[in-house]
Amino acid sequence: MIEFKLNGKTVATADDPNTPLLWVVRDTFKLKGSKFGCGAGLCGACTMHVDGTAIRTCTTPVAAVAGKDVTTIEGLGTPDNLHPLQAAWHDISVPQCGYCQSGQIMSAAALLADNPSPSEDDVDAAMAGNICRCGCYPRIKKAILAVAAGELAYDAATHPEVQA
Amino acid sequence: MSTVNLSRRGFLRTTSVVGGGLVVGFSMSGCAEAPYPIDVMEGGYLPNAFLQLTPDNKITFYCPRDEMGQGVTTGLSTLIGEELDFDPARFDIAWPGVHSAYNNPDMGVQATGGSNSIKAHWTQLRQVGANTRALLLEAASQDLGVPTANLSTDDGHVVANAKRYPYGQFVATAAGLQAPEAAPLKSVSEFKFIGKEMPRVDAVLKSTGTAQFGIDVDIPGMVHAVVKRSPVAGASLKSFDASRAEQMPGVTDILEISNGVAVVAETYWQAKTAADAVRTEWNDTPLSGVNSAQVRADYAAAMAGEDGVVDKDEGDVEAGLAAADTVHEAEYWAPYLAHAALEPMNAVVRIEDGKAEVWSGVQGVVGAEGLVARASGIDPENIRVHNAYLGGGFGRRGTFGHITEATEIAVATGKPVQLLWTREDDMRHGVYRPASLMRIRAGVDSDGRVTTWDAKRVGGNQTTTTVGNMIPALFPGLGDGVADFAKGTADSIFTSWMADPSSLEGLYEDYDFEHLKVAHTTVDHGLPLTFWRSVGHSYTAFAIESMIDELAHEAGIDPVELRLMNTQNNPRLNNVIRVAGEHWKKMQPSAGRHLGFAAHNSFATDVAEIAEVSVENGQIRVHKVLCVLDCGIAVNPDIVRAQIEGGVMYGLTAALHGAIELEGGAVKESNFHNYPILRMNEAPEVEVIIVDSGTDPTGVGEPGLPPIAPAVANAVFAATGQRLRSLPLSLNA
Repeated sequence: MIEFKLNGKTVATADDPNTPLLWVVRDTFKLKGSKFGCGAGLCGACTMHVDGTAIRTCTTPVAAVAGKDVTTIEGLGTPDNLHPLQAAWHDISVPQCGYCQSGQIMSAAALLADNPSPSEDDVDAAMAGNICRCGCYPRIKKAILAVAAGELAYDAATHPEVQA
Repeated sequence: MSTVNLSRRGFLRTTSVVGGGLVVGFSMSGCAEAPYPIDVMEGGYLPNAFLQLTPDNKITFYCPRDEMGQGVTTGLSTLIGEELDFDPARFDIAWPGVHSAYNNPDMGVQATGGSNSIKAHWTQLRQVGANTRALLLEAASQDLGVPTANLSTDDGHVVANAKRYPYGQFVATAAGLQAPEAAPLKSVSEFKFIGKEMPRVDAVLKSTGTAQFGIDVDIPGMVHAVVKRSPVAGASLKSFDASRAEQMPGVTDILEISNGVAVVAETYWQAKTAADAVRTEWNDTPLSGVNSAQVRADYAAAMAGEDGVVDKDEGDVEAGLAAADTVHEAEYWAPYLAHAALEPMNAVVRIEDGKAEVWSGVQGVVGAEGLVARASGIDPENIRVHNAYLGGGFGRRGTFGHITEATEIAVATGKPVQLLWTREDDMRHGVYRPASLMRIRAGVDSDGRVTTWDAKRVGGNQTTTTVGNMIPALFPGLGDGVADFAKGTADSIFTSWMADPSSLEGLYEDYDFEHLKVAHTTVDHGLPLTFWRSVGHSYTAFAIESMIDELAHEAGIDPVELRLMNTQNNPRLNNVIRVAGEHWKKMQPSAGRHLGFAAHNSFATDVAEIAEVSVENGQIRVHKVLCVLDCGIAVNPDIVRAQIEGGVMYGLTAALHGAIELEGGAVKESNFHNYPILRMNEAPEVEVIIVDSGTDPTGVGEPGLPPIAPAVANAVFAATGQRLRSLPLSLNA
């Protein structure tokens, strides 16, 4: 059994230790917010935080996170309690198809935790591992910089679609 | 004011409030009683196929089109909410199953594509909203004893004597009434939601990991399948050896299916690992052994040879060229491309008690239903298709081979199964944007009029494969032989009798040529082809807009002036060129940066783009793109901007990186390291200017794409004096 913390709760799995963390989280623990895009660490759709660092979980064996703290998009915020980045993603209408956005947001959250006032170049460098096939890049960048600058004051009460 | 003529039987008449199960009503065609494939909620009332109201004043909108990122859930709920007088952000949004009531009015099938969803539903869904509001007002009038003339509405409420009553309060009475068919529609000046700034309705779901994509579907007892396919498209299996794979943990079944060898296991990872251990041998096909260099050589030979089909022949091009002041000829190349949607193809199929269910995000649930029927022998009436959010479409999810594969596996194993393609499967076993070789000869007179245009394209026809894939899906009762015959017939028609409109679209229509010849020669090596975001325009715009730039330089005329002079017959395009041209004149790029201009009409929308580009050490860098477009009324201006931004980025990936190459008939590229996608550090700033012409809406999902490659190529010419006529653009070629 491999034990680790998943969004704050201790979990244990009997999956093969070589199974990538992404599939353990999606198929064993049924958290489907983190996505499969390439299986080779090239697109960033599977990004989660392991002890606060953004990593590509499609190439990380679950054995490597034994005893560690794993955070997924579900642990970052929820529809009725959005993380500031998620609120900015909404306000700026960042997503198009939305498939890459969990990974984008996890990379962005790790960046801002490390560097609360990134330059545009810092954002480019931190986000270059995350592909958005719909091409939402200008909005992703705008949302990250807006959160860093404290420019967005999201109020869930003004957004009826959030309250379902 | 426009109204839509819906027959009396066109609307579902539910005469009582229903407690559960499927609602029985009348089909839109009026020919038969048919259940709407949606689940009715406790106390739910369905005034028509698109809405369900419950007494707690929740309203569910059954979105007839597929959401692949283009914002169709926001756009269509805005149309219906505008007339229903209900904040579009408050709808619950759900996907209906297959029913003709949800057909795309512009296509006649339940499918999504061609950038036409807003245009196609513009009148229909506003009319549905208006009729439903009128029905609720009539019910409120009866319940409250107030004449309808003294009633108004406000965001989901009927207002009477300054008091607000939720719509849900009147559903029981409304259920006993006949809905009007042609309630008056608002004028543009009365719009509360259309044309206003409003966030996407799916933005929160898609920012919290809670939007359900096909890949996220997980049903009890589900096993996982990975398929090993032929590296060369269409090859049949000669033999396979699964002796190692059979011994691997979790593997439950290994079986031959029509398209390869399926490995089924308890988890995806087990199935994938075991599939890697299966050894296969394949028979040869005509595509086996074909390399990219041969494709290009065969196209060049066909270009030099006789025309397959002359599609347009107006005036006299030889006389026009002889009389021209400037004559110029050039050839342009565009390679095969993959869609590379980020969510790999996948489907869940469950077959139980003679009934089938399929879950998959597709650009046309009717096609999924047809293929399940064909592969399982189950009647369409006993098949339920559940759509989901699409992790990118771009044309790829209009071809449904994965549905056939998943169904065959579910039938053979008797288990509910999720089939998932790997990224490598997706890159190598897809359907591709055709490669194209295009030649243009053009003549300009001494006044700067482009009098003569002699254009020819060589390549495969994307409609053939697409139709070949659609026929078995749309007509599951047809035998395989008939479907193959129809595909073969389409093939020979487009080779010898008429050009496939998708092959040539965009190659000549924008300009006022006096002498015009457009020819086509089909050369098809057998790689499966289909529509790719903006279809033919994705390559023809590169040729035409590069050529116009070349002509302007040859003739010594400003490229914007030349376009203005020669687009008099296309006033809306002429106007966006004029508006963009004002910026063109004023823009002062900083040192080392250069501008390129291009304009194009596609999907009834006119777009002009200016690219600001630098070239350093042979590297092309696009810094900024200005887009001016006219798409009629912008239902959601921010989504229009987003779609144009996205079209530019998708087009830049193709302009700077994209190429699918063949080696021994197999696709060489496999993942994002050798089929690179534009990343944030390469993404330009994009400014979008919407010209408000006030006309009915036209497409925005695709039209942003075609002008970007030529705009960048024209800027590279301005920067370097080098004319790049092959995609992807490379200064080292």
